[in-house]
Order: sequence, then C-alpha cells, then structure tokens
Amino acid sequence: MKKFAEKILAHKWLIIILVSVLTIFLGYQLKNLTINADLLSSLPDDDPDALLMKQIGKDFNGNSMGMVILETDNVYRADVLEHVRMITDTISEIDGVSSIQSLTNIINIKHGDFGVEIGSLVDEWDIPDTPEKLQELRSNVMSNKMYRGNIVSEDGTSTLIIFTLKDGADVEGVARSVIEKTKALHLPEKLYYIGSPMLITYISDLMRDDLIKLLPFAFLLIALVLLISFRSATGVILPLLTAMIAIVWSLGIMSLLGYKMSMISNNIPIIILAVGSAYAIHVINRVNQLVVTDREKAICLALAYVMVPVFLAAVTTIIGFVSFIFGAYLGVIVDFGIFTALGTFFACLLSIFFVPALLDLFSSEKRNKAALSKKIRKSFLSDNFLAPLNTLLFKHPKYVLTTWGLLIAISIFGIFFIKRSVDIQEYFKKGNPTRQAENIMIEKFGGSKPVFVLFEGDIQSPEVLKKMLKMGKYMEKSPDINSTQSIADLIAEINYAVTGVREIPDSKAKIEQLWFMLDGNDAIERFVNDDLNKAIMYSMFKSPDNQAKKDFVDYVRKFINENATPDCRIRVTGMPFIDITMDRSLVNSQMGSITIAIIFVIIIVGLILRSMASGIYAAIPIIAAIMILFGVMGLTGISLNIATVLMASVALGIGIDYSIHIISHFKHIYGVTKDAPKAIKETIMISGKAIIINVISVSAGFIILVFSQMVPLQYFGILIVLSMIGSSLGALTLLPVILILVYRKKSNHKKVD
Amino acid sequence: MKSNKIIKLILFLALIVPGVSGAQNADTLLKRMDDLMLAPKDKQATVKIILTKTKSNKQKVREAILMQKGRDKKLYRYTAPESQAGIASLSLPGNVMWLYMPAFGAPTKISLLAKSQAFTGTDFSYEDIDSRPFAERFTPKLLSSDDPDVYQLELTPKSDKSKYSKVILSLNKKYFYPEKLEYYDTRGRKFKEAVYLYKKSGKYWYAAEVKMTDLKKEHSTEIIMTDVKFDQGIPDDVFSVENLKQK
Repeated sequence: MKKFAEKILAHKWLIIILVSVLTIFLGYQLKNLTINADLLSSLPDDDPDALLMKQIGKDFNGNSMGMVILETDNVYRADVLEHVRMITDTISEIDGVSSIQSLTNIINIKHGDFGVEIGSLVDEWDIPDTPEKLQELRSNVMSNKMYRGNIVSEDGTSTLIIFTLKDGADVEGVARSVIEKTKALHLPEKLYYIGSPMLITYISDLMRDDLIKLLPFAFLLIALVLLISFRSATGVILPLLTAMIAIVWSLGIMSLLGYKMSMISNNIPIIILAVGSAYAIHVINRVNQLVVTDREKAICLALAYVMVPVFLAAVTTIIGFVSFIFGAYLGVIVDFGIFTALGTFFACLLSIFFVPALLDLFSSEKRNKAALSKKIRKSFLSDNFLAPLNTLLFKHPKYVLTTWGLLIAISIFGIFFIKRSVDIQEYFKKGNPTRQAENIMIEKFGGSKPVFVLFEGDIQSPEVLKKMLKMGKYMEKSPDINSTQSIADLIAEINYAVTGVREIPDSKAKIEQLWFMLDGNDAIERFVNDDLNKAIMYSMFKSPDNQAKKDFVDYVRKFINENATPDCRIRVTGMPFIDITMDRSLVNSQMGSITIAIIFVIIIVGLILRSMASGIYAAIPIIAAIMILFGVMGLTGISLNIATVLMASVALGIGIDYSIHIISHFKHIYGVTKDAPKAIKETIMISGKAIIINVISVSAGFIILVFSQMVPLQYFGILIVLSMIGSSLGALTLLPVILILVYRKKSNHKKVD
Repeated sequence: MKSNKIIKLILFLALIVPGVSGAQNADTLLKRMDDLMLAPKDKQATVKIILTKTKSNKQKVREAILMQKGRDKKLYRYTAPESQAGIASLSLPGNVMWLYMPAFGAPTKISLLAKSQAFTGTDFSYEDIDSRPFAERFTPKLLSSDDPDVYQLELTPKSDKSKYSKVILSLNKKYFYPEKLEYYDTRGRKFKEAVYLYKKSGKYWYAAEVKMTDLKKEHSTEIIMTDVKFDQGIPDDVFSVENLKQK
C-alpha cells in the first residue's frame, strides 16, 4: 500500500494534467445536456400497459394533449364566450398545435325541423348575446354528454380549451407559447394550464430552478462546515474540488452518451457533491491526524491507511446506487443509479490519486510537530463529544444496546403505516397553480388521469362500433369515470340527427355514408387512424386512491374478457394502469434494491476485511438506521414515492461508509496492539471525528433539498439527513457496543481457557 | 389648333388616368376573373379528388360526376370509392345543401354553420367554395408583380367573419384566370395555398387541376377535372331534391 501511495506522489504532475484535461473535455460536453421531464417516455417497453400507452401516444397524439381551463362565475355570457374564442384562435395559430377543441369551435350535430345541422355548437362569428340564446346554449351543453362535464363543467363555471400537439413538436416550446400568448390576452377570467405538455414544462422549469438555486447553496454550506472543521484552505477546497470534478465528469459522460436530465437525475449533482466530498475529507483528515513532520511521508502513510476504507466506502455506496438498476420500473431511476454510481466512483478515484497529488504540491514541506499534536488534542469534537462518548460506551454498553432495541421496535411498528403514492401531482406544493388546476379537473371535469381503450378491427363495422358504445356505457357506470368519448358516440349522434335513433346503424353501408359527413373533421383524427382499423375511446379517471384504481382495472378487464373477439380486439391502458404497476414496483424495487445492496455490502466488506463477521457487523448500524427511517416515514405520513423510493438505497450506500471506517480502523489498531478497548477508543477518537465532519457536511448538502420546489425532493432531503444521522450514530454507538461486547466475551473465553 | 387640344387632352388623361385606373383596374381585373369563371351556362365533368397527407404521403381518392348550372346549383354524384358510391350532394342557392345517402333512402338537408370547417375532408373550407363571385366577397388592391405574366392582387375579405386577413391572387395577364391564391391568417401568416391549372375547352376556360395545400395541417387536396362538357342544356329538374335519389 505504501509503495502504491509513493507511486501516486511520484506521478503527481501526470495525474493533475490528466484530470485537468478530462475535466475541460467533459465540462465542454455539458453544454449539450438537455432536460427531459416527460416521465412517460421513461416507461419500460416490457410492461404491456406502458407500451400500449406509448403506442397510443404516437398513433393518436393522445399523450400530448394540453388543456387551458378558463374559470369564472358563469361561462354562459357573451363576453366570456368571446374570450374563449380569442384563446381558441390564439392557440390554433401556434406552430406545433395540430388541433384544438373548445366551446366556440366544437362540432355540433343537430336534428332540426329542416334536417341535419352540422356545425359548431357556438357560431364563433355570431356569439350568442341575448339571455334566450345563452339559455339555449346552456341547455344544449347540459343535454349532451360530449359537452357536459367535458367542455363545460356542470355548474357552468369552467370551460376547457383542449389542444393536441403535432407528432414531433417541440413540447416545451409549444407549452410555453400557449402560456405566454394566452396570458398576454389579459383576460379577466382565471386561466389554469394542465395536461402532459404543461406538466412537463412546469416540471422542467422547477428542475432548472432547483439546479440553479440549490447547488450553489449546498456548495456554500458544505464549504462552511469544512472550514469550521478543518480550518484550512485545503480542507475546504480539496473536497469541494473533488466533488465538483466528479459532477462534471459524470454529467459530461451523461451528455456525451446522449442521456437527458430527468426529474430524478436532477439530484445527481447534489448527491455527488454530498457523497463525493466525503472521500477527500477522510484522506485529508488522516493526513492531518498524523504526527509526522515530513510532508511526503505523512501523505504516503495516511494514504496507505485510508486507501482501503475509502475504496471500500465508495464500492459500497456504488452498490447502493447500482442496486436501482435491478427492479426499477422507470428508466429514469436506472439512469440515476448508473450516473450517481459513476460520479461516486470518480470521486473515490480523485480522492485517492488527485487529492494526494495536490496536497503534495500545495502544502509546506516541513510540518510543525508541536502545532500538529496540539491540533489533534485541542479538537472541540474530541473533548466535548468523542471522549464522553467513549466513556458512555464502555460504562453502559447494555443501556446503549437497549435504547437501540427500543428505537427499532417503535420503527417496526411505524413501518406498517407507510403510505405509497405514485401521483405526479404530489410533486407540486399545495399552492402551485398546477395543483389547483388538477383539483378543478377532478371536481368539475371528472379527473385528469387519462384512460385509453384501443379497439382494433374494422372500425366502420357495426359490430366494432356497437361494442365501443356498449363499453362506453359500461365504463360510465364506474364511480370514477364521468364520461367516455369515441367515434361511436359521434356516429350514434349523427345517426340520431338523420334517423331519430341514437344508435349505431345495423349496416356497414349506412355507417360509411354517415362517415362521409364527418370526413375531414378534426374529431375523426382524434378518434380513428387513417387506415380505419384502430380507434380510441378517451375518458378521465377521478380517484387518486390506489384501491379504486385496482378495482377499476378489474372492472374494465372483465368487460374486455367477455366482449373482445378476433374481429374486435379491445385493449385498455392509461394512467391508473401505469400507476398500479408503478406502485407495485415501488415496493418490489425497494425491497429488491435494499436486499441486493445489503447482501453485496456484507460480502464485499467481509472479503476485503477478510472476515464475514466484520461484514455483518458493518451492516447492523445501517440496517437499524434504515428501519428507523421507514419507521419515521410511517409515523409521520411521508409517503413512499418515485423520489423517496431511492432513499433507502442511497442511505445504505452512504451510511455503510461510517461502519466501514470504524471497523477497518478498529481492525488496523487491534491487529497491531491486540487491545480491543484501546482500539475502539482510538477508532472513535480519530475516525469518529471524520465521520462527524462527514455527516454534518453531507447533511448540509442534502438539507438544501428542503428548499426544492418539488415536494418529494424536500422529503428526500430530510430523510437522507435523518438516515445519515441514524447510521452515523449507529456506527459510533451501536457498532462499538457490539464490538465491546463481542471482544469482552472473547477475552473472557481466553481467560477461562 | 384642334389637334393640339386633342393632344393636350390625351396627355392630360395619360397623366391622371393611371392613378384613377389603379383602383378601378383592380376591381375590373377581379370582375374579369369572375366573368371567366362564371361564363359557362352549365358544366358537366368527371372529378377526381385526391386527399394527401403531405408528411406520410398517404392518399385517399374520390371520384364523382359533377353537374353545375349557373354559379350556385351544383350536383356531385360520387362513384368511388365503393363505400361512398351513390352518395350525392346537391348545393342550391342560399347555402342550402342536400345530401343523399343511398343506404338511408331519403335525402337529408344539411345546414352548415361553421364556414371555416373543411368541406367533406378536403382542404377547401366552406368559405372557399362560396358560390358568390370574388368581387362580391373581396375588396381588391393591385400590387406590383415580379412576374411579367401575372397581375398580383391583394384581396381583403368584406366580411368580418372571414378566417383570412387577406388573399394574394396571381391573375393571368392574358386570359384573366387565377394561377395562384395565397391565404393569410388573421395574424398575417400564410397558411394555405391554391395552385390552378387552367385549360381551354371550346370557348371556355376551366380549372383542369387545382391543388389546395394547408401548410399548417400538412395536408393537400387535388381536384382534377376531365371529360368537361359545357352548355349541354342541363335541365333544372336535375338539380331538384327528388332527382337526388335516382341515378
């Protein structure tokens, strides 16, 4: 080890130049890094529901539907209708918008005294302005399910302007234009924006905002902690520089490989900053602790000690991140795992090679021995925390153990109350306009989670259309479906206008001829593909409740099983379906990734320290910390969601480091002195200090997430800090107590022998 | 002396007339185009309608026999595709339209409220196929033209209900038939374009081919007219609702 360390110092210039060149190159790649906040694109292709959802999005542009909600006290007023028309015109002229539907342009099929009237519900050039005409419009809306609760809310206070994006349109660009241009109309009514293009745009704005605002803060806070701890420029600059370079490298590679920033990987910089600075902290701390006057010797010696634990700490952290790859439902989580792991690896490499090289270059050649020993002795932490801690541990090991037992028992109780949530709306804070829009959608328009039913067969055949109509009626009986819309409704409506019967005609010829009247209407394009062999039925699902979603899925599948035929294939998908799978995967991937991570950690720690017992000991504090974490989630009502699901593995990856430092340090000293109490005391005094500095600085990094604009990230930050404190306390109290008790037993046995 | 006066008069006229005639000219030009388009007493033709999605190049083809008398009596009898064969539409004065669907047996009167809507899947809106002459619907203004063979006219809709802010017409200088119409939306952006190919049959000029492209929707409609016959003396009762039924 020492030779290896010497080699590193001998090649310091090469290392520094190499790191600089790589950093410049990869830093340059950052300019191509883009944000993709569309969670749908991250759905896996091996899930049939997700695959169908993507396919429908492509075939029918169904996933790129945006909505403007206009809210006022009464929609049925000439001035309000005029404003709806203005919004409709404004949006329809935006490039990238393929179709638009609103109260002032929606198709209307009427059976009048004079025959069939096909036109608009509202004549946009002759907007109803008398009380009679407005009343007539209201009764037209209320009597037709195409409008009632779909275009205008039943209470007449809100109306929707729905637009669809062209395939391949610049989603964010269009969404921004819609918001800007409709706001520029300065209408007196309240406007809200919802639908996936709007959500994507909002989220990526929040992400950008978070990244710009939070990262520098995390940086400053960590710098402050480091300054207080090390009281030296190198102590502040080197850990931050290491983390910074690791961030640049991993994001640079991300960009180079064509990956995009997602709403999950947005956290990569803050996590690498927090995690990556730790390795350099340990290296610098070790160098500082040595009472050796020769600079080069001190670095070599410190490096020889610290290389294994740092490497081990990094490997276990990497395992924590990589464990996401197994069992993660969303592609974005896999990406997050890979690139955070990569960043951690870089931070570790830099701490072992780059930090010593810089230390050697910048610190003075001869160290003042008197000052050094004074520095170690006079540490605030050692006197006021670590020394008393040692006393407590040796005096009352069983009390400490009992306290932990109690905490774990309470936590296990709490685990049973953990809630799960996959609702994307929970990403936004309560007062956020998106969340208000969501509430309006649920209260007045029957929900905001799209459900799509795909019919395959000859769409112009009576069989398929009748099934469609039947299924629509069946679905509308579900308490969570307000209404459904399909081409079958339009055909039945137009048949009603021609013949007076609101049904699908019995002959294909009749259907084809009714179709002629609708040909070229935007509505057709929304519902049916060009080849007339696929059609889609739209509806919105109301309840955010998971059980309601499951019930609905069973309810719909029952109909399909009984009614689908080879000539009329029926498939269903939509957000409730995705949510259920996502929910199931939350639990599965959580259990999967933790189990994998724990097993690997035990094996690797065991192998490197050449004792399986050490591996198991190392795992105990972190397992306890994770249990407490879940207990707190259960007891405080913080839900398990796509962001917090990452937390346990991240906590494990970071938290295990503390145990590793304690165990390896202990083994090192015990190997030399064969005196367990002495080894434990010294370990706590030296490694304990590094751990505490590390916990405080890592926590400082993560606590910044509390100021994130996205709710799950706030919780993520709080929970990580909690688990850091938990696992460090575990490593500093539970682990030493176990070691004390184990070695007491051993020495007792020896004495007996 | 006398001839001197005449020369003076001519000179005077030559000076002021172009200014006056600029305005008159545009009206006259548009009128001449209307006259050319509405010249035949009646017309019969085979019409092929090709609808194309520009992006995917997917096409739908329809065929019909067209009979027209005057400017606002029009009868289309569809012959292809098979699913639409037998459908007939009759347009009568006053924006009245009857549709005959053989499967239902009885003609249905159709009233069309939304002028901006597409006409049975084509890129022509009901506003585009308005039977009233251009001069009645637009105020023309003569623009300078880069092409020596055409006049350029800027047409402003007289109705405030139009979807167009203006239409730029390229008019053939020699024969006064339209070569191109460019449609601008209310924000002044061009979003539709119609290109005409006029042919002469007997004494009449007719649009043998028209291609209307909706630039925003990326969709185009081609109308190709063949077997065109004029002034056949088509009787009025061909354009009666009763007649829609028989083939």
